[in-house]
Amino acid sequence: MTGPGPMRESFEDRMATVEFRVAPTAHITVDGDSCRGCSTKACVTACPANLFVPTADGGILFNYEQCFECGTCYLVCDTEGAISWSYPEGGHGVVFLRS
Amino acid sequence: MAEEFDVVVVGAGPAGSAAALVLARAGKSVCLLERGPFPGSKNMYGGVIYPRILDGLIPNWWEEAPVQRWVTRRATMVLTGTQSLTVDYRTEAWGRPPYNGATAYRPDFDAWLAGKAVEAGAVLACETTATGLLGAPGKGGIRGVRTDRPGGEIGARLVIACDGVNSLLAKEAGIYGKADPHHFTLGAKETLALPARVIEERFGLAEHEGADFEIVGCTEGVAGGGFLYTNRETVSVGVVLHLPELAASKKRPEEIIASMKANPVIAPLVAGGELVEYSAHLIPEGGWVMLPGLVADGMLVAGDAAALCLAAGIWLEGVNFAIGSGMAAGETALEALDSGNVSAPGLAGYRKRLEGNFVLADHRKLRRAPHLMLSDRVQHRYPQMICNLTEAMFTVTNPEPKKGILAHTRIEARRAGVRLGQLARDTASALRTYG
Amino acid sequence: MAPTDPGPGPVLVARKWVDRRPTVDLLTGEVSTDPRSSGASEADEAALEWGLRLAGVWGVGVLAVTAGPPDAEAVLRPALAAGAGGAVRIDLTSPPGHLAGGAPSSRAVASALALVARTAGSRMVLCGDLSLDRGSGAVPAFLAGELGAAQGLGLVSLAPDPDRPGHLGAWRRLDGGRREELALAPPWVCSVEGGTARLRRAELAGVLAAGRAPVEVVTAETSGPAPPHPARTGPGRPRTHLLTGPDPTADARHRILALTGALVERTPPLTLTLGPGEGADRILEALRAWGELPGEEFP
Repeated sequence: MTGPGPMRESFEDRMATVEFRVAPTAHITVDGDSCRGCSTKACVTACPANLFVPTADGGILFNYEQCFECGTCYLVCDTEGAISWSYPEGGHGVVFLRS
Repeated sequence: MAEEFDVVVVGAGPAGSAAALVLARAGKSVCLLERGPFPGSKNMYGGVIYPRILDGLIPNWWEEAPVQRWVTRRATMVLTGTQSLTVDYRTEAWGRPPYNGATAYRPDFDAWLAGKAVEAGAVLACETTATGLLGAPGKGGIRGVRTDRPGGEIGARLVIACDGVNSLLAKEAGIYGKADPHHFTLGAKETLALPARVIEERFGLAEHEGADFEIVGCTEGVAGGGFLYTNRETVSVGVVLHLPELAASKKRPEEIIASMKANPVIAPLVAGGELVEYSAHLIPEGGWVMLPGLVADGMLVAGDAAALCLAAGIWLEGVNFAIGSGMAAGETALEALDSGNVSAPGLAGYRKRLEGNFVLADHRKLRRAPHLMLSDRVQHRYPQMICNLTEAMFTVTNPEPKKGILAHTRIEARRAGVRLGQLARDTASALRTYG
Repeated sequence: MAPTDPGPGPVLVARKWVDRRPTVDLLTGEVSTDPRSSGASEADEAALEWGLRLAGVWGVGVLAVTAGPPDAEAVLRPALAAGAGGAVRIDLTSPPGHLAGGAPSSRAVASALALVARTAGSRMVLCGDLSLDRGSGAVPAFLAGELGAAQGLGLVSLAPDPDRPGHLGAWRRLDGGRREELALAPPWVCSVEGGTARLRRAELAGVLAAGRAPVEVVTAETSGPAPPHPARTGPGRPRTHLLTGPDPTADARHRILALTGALVERTPPLTLTLGPGEGADRILEALRAWGELPGEEFP
């Protein structure tokens, strides 16, 4: 209970506290071509699960597996149609237990 | 078509379960759809449930609701990097029936409330995502929903959409325009495990008592706020961040939580807490100004799906608004089913019901609050000014004599870049809003 | 089918209700479970899917069965929704003072399952290969013993014979990437590995009906006290055991001989190349010669 500040865990450890029942198919798809023209790429920092990764060629790599299904990404996205967003197949996706 | 029901309720959160409970008790056939493996599994919130709305629905709800702690300590904190000012209220009255606020885990609370609807006769189908509407407003009305299961169409005379903040069904029905990110905040929180005794010592609580801290000025310059509240053996600490500002700041939500946890006022309260769950969810904060059309032919919308979440600074409530709107939707649906008119005009009683009780009365009264709360002055200048003012008032500068409060106010307003005219206008606006 | 042949009956699918994400206290080793993260394991899901497929080919029913508390019906409802015709929960009464998280012994579960199989006239039983909590994989084997059934354990694939209900080919892993092929005729007990089949998505009508469908409850008693849940509070260390050394009074040469076993008379290893049948006969012969098989109890 002592120490200089709060405990800092890696982002992987942070996400490992959450249960995800990963669906076989992605519920969110990102159109990499649209992203190449996007200069803000707000999704990269705003996504609380850190699922959007910029690639060297200016596109976006997206992982749906640890998605909170919150909707932040499509709301902060500047590029119409770059993110197609829906819910995962019933029974899959995030499962909160202590939220 | 899998089956025909009087009503299909989409989403077994507090709004959906309340609606289903009202309808099932009245003998209507109700199907309650939930896309998670159990009700509440997709839900996360910023802390406190005010369940008095349940008084009429579930007598003595406090004897059975899965509550973590009863909130008997309510504090509002204003933080700057190095200063803090706290208004801290405690009362034993909130620790006795009928209580006031409670902390609870939503996966527990929502599952309990959905269980009540099932006991009353509603058919709960979990792991089933509603993917669209059958029929459309105007063209014979909405006649049910489509789900992602094989043979997954459910016919119903009425659909009650309680499908959460993203409102996919209301958007499909055309009663919810394109969502504006300015009306949303992102809530992100950590649940940290601490022994009950440690929590009770740190927060000065008796057993079963809880604390709820709402915090301004801890979000690294991003408009929003923070919260810290106690569960039985965990504390929940998190932030609420205005989406466009979060995006523009290029800061990451968990880093903003980390910086809040590192604040010298917060750090000792959460020290040593082991992260047991990280979660995030959107909040419809726009209030009155983002309110969608609440009904369409064959459909009612309730809860977060109708943006019925109150984010008015000193009052932050959502679950009670969800339950209240769900109950009103259920009662309206009953009337409409019995009269045989489920068209939008036939459902007009819904809005009247909501206006007649706290749900829309509070939203209308507090309609200016979200804008005011997220303004630059309330977010940045006033917290700095009020902390500086307090510091100046209580700093003893002998041999210089004490200045009056007004003199201090003038000096500190100038230092914080607040014009007195603007301060007066904001005070008037706050009085109009909250008065 | 001969008129006296009662047929293989329904396919019995045994499912265990288990926490898929239990919390382990790192200090005490205490395991805590949560009904909401509990359900059937991947292997049990695969077993249900295989059961539904076999039953579909042979035109027989599927009976889902679990042993556990009322909450364990959570693994029966999805089975009913996906197409099982019936569901049975065995309410195992634990001896007093028994740990809540502890399970009755594998033998007790197997004998209770066998009772359900006999009552239902089922001569075909499918399970997951290992449970997630105990993971010994013993229940299917005990069950086969109880029923006097053939065993196909740890299978990765099943191929029903469409013309002969109850007959199937089955494959299991062997070392070195090889497969063992089995031909099974009822009665049999098969267990399948997780991930070998993905449970079908239940139809909505099935889901709605399953919520209201009755679950038969039978009561069985666990025979004797159950073994404790495996719990270790410290790091795993092999137990020390005493090795009797060579006679210390002997000279160095004899001590080395005693330690290495050199020059001691023994049967030299024998390598034979035989077909499967002959091989099996030769193994039995050798076992008898060594006295490992008690008489002619086994055919």
